[in-house]
Amino acid sequence: MNIALFFQQIANGLAIGSVYAIFALGYTLIFSILGIINFAHGAVFTLGAYFTYTFMGLAFGFNGLLAQQKLPFGLPFPIALVLGGLAAGAIGVLIERAFFRPLRMRGGDSLLTLVSSLGIAVAIVNIIQYLVGAEAYAYPMSALGGLPPSVNFGTPESPLIVRTVQIVIFAVSMIILAGLTYLINATRTGKALRAVAEDATTASLLGINTDRLIMFTFFLSGFVGGIAGTLVGLSVTVTGPYFGIAFGLKGLAVIVLGGLGSIPGAVIGGLVIGLAEALVPSQSSALKEAVAFAILFVILLVRPQGIMGRVQVQKV
Amino acid sequence: MKRWFMLLLALVVLVAPILAQDAPPIKIGVAVAQTSNVALLGQEQVIGAQIAGDYFNERGGINGRPIELVFQDTAGDEAGAINAFQTLISEGVVGILGPTLSQQAFSADPIAEQAGVPIIAPSNTARGVPQIGWFISRISAPVAVVAPNAVQAALELDPNIKDVAVFFAQNDAFASSETQTFQSTVTDAGLNLATVQTFQTTDTDFSSQVTNALALNPQLAIISGLAADGGNLVRQLREFGYTGLIIGGNGLNTANIFPVCQALCDGIIIAQAYSYEADSEINQTFRTIYKEAQGKEPPQFSAQAFAGIQVFVEALTELDNTVGLASFDETSDPLGQLRHHLNAQILYGSYDTPLGAVSFLPTGEIVQEQFYVAQIKMNEDGQTGSFIFIR
Amino acid sequence: MIEFLTNFLSTYGFLIVSMTFSAMLALSLYLPLMTGQLSLASPGFYALGGYIAAWMSTELYPPLATGTTFPIPSLFVEMLIAAVACAILALLVGVPALRLRGIYLALATIAFVEVLRVLSLNLDVTGKAIGIFNIPQPFVTKIEYLYISLPMLIVCIIFMYRLERSRVGRAFRALREDELAATAMGINPTYYKVLAFMMGAILAGMVGAVSAHFLNTWNARQGTFDLSILVLAYVIIGGSRTFWGSIVGGMLLTALPEVLRAVAGIQGLPPFLTGFLTEGRLIIYGFLIALGTLFFPQGLITPEFLRRFARPPKASTPTKSKPLQTPST
Repeated sequence: MNIALFFQQIANGLAIGSVYAIFALGYTLIFSILGIINFAHGAVFTLGAYFTYTFMGLAFGFNGLLAQQKLPFGLPFPIALVLGGLAAGAIGVLIERAFFRPLRMRGGDSLLTLVSSLGIAVAIVNIIQYLVGAEAYAYPMSALGGLPPSVNFGTPESPLIVRTVQIVIFAVSMIILAGLTYLINATRTGKALRAVAEDATTASLLGINTDRLIMFTFFLSGFVGGIAGTLVGLSVTVTGPYFGIAFGLKGLAVIVLGGLGSIPGAVIGGLVIGLAEALVPSQSSALKEAVAFAILFVILLVRPQGIMGRVQVQKV
Repeated sequence: MKRWFMLLLALVVLVAPILAQDAPPIKIGVAVAQTSNVALLGQEQVIGAQIAGDYFNERGGINGRPIELVFQDTAGDEAGAINAFQTLISEGVVGILGPTLSQQAFSADPIAEQAGVPIIAPSNTARGVPQIGWFISRISAPVAVVAPNAVQAALELDPNIKDVAVFFAQNDAFASSETQTFQSTVTDAGLNLATVQTFQTTDTDFSSQVTNALALNPQLAIISGLAADGGNLVRQLREFGYTGLIIGGNGLNTANIFPVCQALCDGIIIAQAYSYEADSEINQTFRTIYKEAQGKEPPQFSAQAFAGIQVFVEALTELDNTVGLASFDETSDPLGQLRHHLNAQILYGSYDTPLGAVSFLPTGEIVQEQFYVAQIKMNEDGQTGSFIFIR
Repeated sequence: MIEFLTNFLSTYGFLIVSMTFSAMLALSLYLPLMTGQLSLASPGFYALGGYIAAWMSTELYPPLATGTTFPIPSLFVEMLIAAVACAILALLVGVPALRLRGIYLALATIAFVEVLRVLSLNLDVTGKAIGIFNIPQPFVTKIEYLYISLPMLIVCIIFMYRLERSRVGRAFRALREDELAATAMGINPTYYKVLAFMMGAILAGMVGAVSAHFLNTWNARQGTFDLSILVLAYVIIGGSRTFWGSIVGGMLLTALPEVLRAVAGIQGLPPFLTGFLTEGRLIIYGFLIALGTLFFPQGLITPEFLRRFARPPKASTPTKSKPLQTPST
């Protein structure tokens, strides 16, 4: 591999990795506070993308219950993006209130919550198909304004090309990362969240309203997920109801590799997996996935707590 | 002509219910993937089949006796296909259109073969599907014929092509057999097969494959995949600065790729087993109805599903004309006899479908005469486009 | 009546046998879970077992004369070889991987499943994307597979019943409750964890071998992440503290989509309901899973539930019974 190609693949790896990272941020947030794997995150991510599409005033296709329906008004992309995120956040809260909270009250164990979230994901995906069909939905490419589709950071002879939308995704994931880190480490809410994460019962004894904080976490996770879904949809189109579910496996890999519950870990985990995939030699592109997962397997064996995870002391 | 047709139509609409009362409708099963992540293909097949069902019933069904399409969802897996087939067979369908994927066909078709139920596969292109048994035939041509035409068309558009980059979806049965044909065509034409890059149909980012391929400066890129992945690959090839020709395999022969690569779809050469431009009367009728219902040009999957139902209807009609469907009621196993004779009639007949004139080999393999090569032309808005016939 | 029964069996024969397979797949995941190990590797071994049977019966054995069925002893040979291959692979993967805990182990085993899947998409011997087809049939109808699967399931039940009451079973449970304490009591954690993992792998491999014949074809879509999660759902919905939970969960969740299909087919329902039941079948399925966890937070079958049916407690419940027999010093 010559040097220009190498750098191009590094850039590609970072680009793929930032998609994994932005998917995983909302995913890992719920884990860090509640210790549960929420498979419904992929579905909320998908919903966010569809919500944004709706708010842009674009019409649905000819299949499903909402065939050819559209809002009477259309909002510009950035506003629709934020509204889509808010709506996805609301869905997150709804899921928490309707399913996870009663489950917590009844003392279901964390694997049960995982299975419950799987059921919710199946339901949401099929509701989407029931409402708007299985076809792909796209935002107009002009959504990013007059920006060119890709930027060449190299020279015309040895190009180093990055797609503009990938730069946006990378930047937004960094902003979200910074925002979440600030929120959790430097605000009162963050302090309370950390207390809930450490021990919810003690936290509520200390006068912290745990239910509200958990609801807030789900809202935040859904909001971040919805924004992520829209941006990834802008990059590769919303490919159908299974759009976000397709990232479920990689997303899980990313948050576990990064260290469960570590928010910077989710970003680092995403970038590591992206780089691993991109750097598989061209001749063996057929084995790309296998190589990425084999690397994951080995990293786990060497560092069982993930890259950024804390070593859990075994309690006697 | 048109007025005469309308008059006939009105007559049929008026008369059909009266005729329908003395004979129960003939049930034809449709078992395709209405859910799961291949639902997009199944959805197109359902639309095609529904259009066919309504169309042929309006024209009087089987000599006045209506047909009833019974839909059962196979989802995307093998077990789902078997369950759907079993349900339909028990419901007494005379034949089944389905399943969606070749892998599902290998699983469910032996069940139908054993039960003696004629199967028409609307989209199973893998080698070996019609050979599963006598009752199994397909309306979907294996792509061996189409691929070389597309490469020839590309060479005519750009005679300077030397190096070719080939991409294919390794987890798709259709794409992985199509790419073999493309690769041997490229080598036979004396071109240099510079690289073969693989991906999965669930992938959305192809930048590393694109980078690897573009490093070799190909003048032609050939893609075998499905709409969403294929469209994204095209888009990313273009955004990374590729300016050469692109050939899309048969899986990209759908307007569903327009929203994915938008303006960048422009110029893709598509190998087609169906062209909506084909000027037969039946195709233009189908195209008109489809466009009215769906607001876009009909894709190949819908056309194939329509053709499958058409084959059932015409074979049943012919059977009624020759021996009479009622005659089977006097045998000891009416349904079994009907299914058996229906299959024989399917294999024997020839049909003028939206796909062109088709007939079947004794194995059940389709004999399709017309294949097309088209080039995508995107409109100014970057959202809609059309397949322009070039070969 | 007879006609109804034949009709029922020909429609649902496949489903009934599928249910027994799902129950056994769930058991293969429950076994490592008995030691507290969340391993999702079962689909990998299931796929491997299937490929072994598919390859042997299509490539190795001479082709069958038309009209004859595949000899059952040959099927047993395939199952045996699948079991041995899976045991060896489980040993190779299990020894390093089982040092991991909880979700980390789960992910490592998912990675294992995924590596196997991509390999089988690339190898000629596994038929790449299309897979292996025309697998010969040992039986004429699908329901006859019960001759194999039902005895297998019964053997599994007897085995699990005895295992839960044996020394090994108690060691498993001790590891699940508290690994550190168990180690202190002289239980070798690695030995028992790998043992449970291998037992699960062998079972999954054997189920795969029969399934390859049962499904007529075998391909890379059989052992996937999706199946890992589905099988986990079988175990958890059924109840993860007794093996009966896995069996009930596997059977119920396999039957549920088909039950919903049958409900949608009932004549005389209002059209909008029929429409929703047909197209929204999986919406209901998803909500039923989510609601099931709500109403049965410990799973459908719990040890407490079973105790209501059990005979008076024997030695297996040491907390209540066992009057003091040893004389106090």
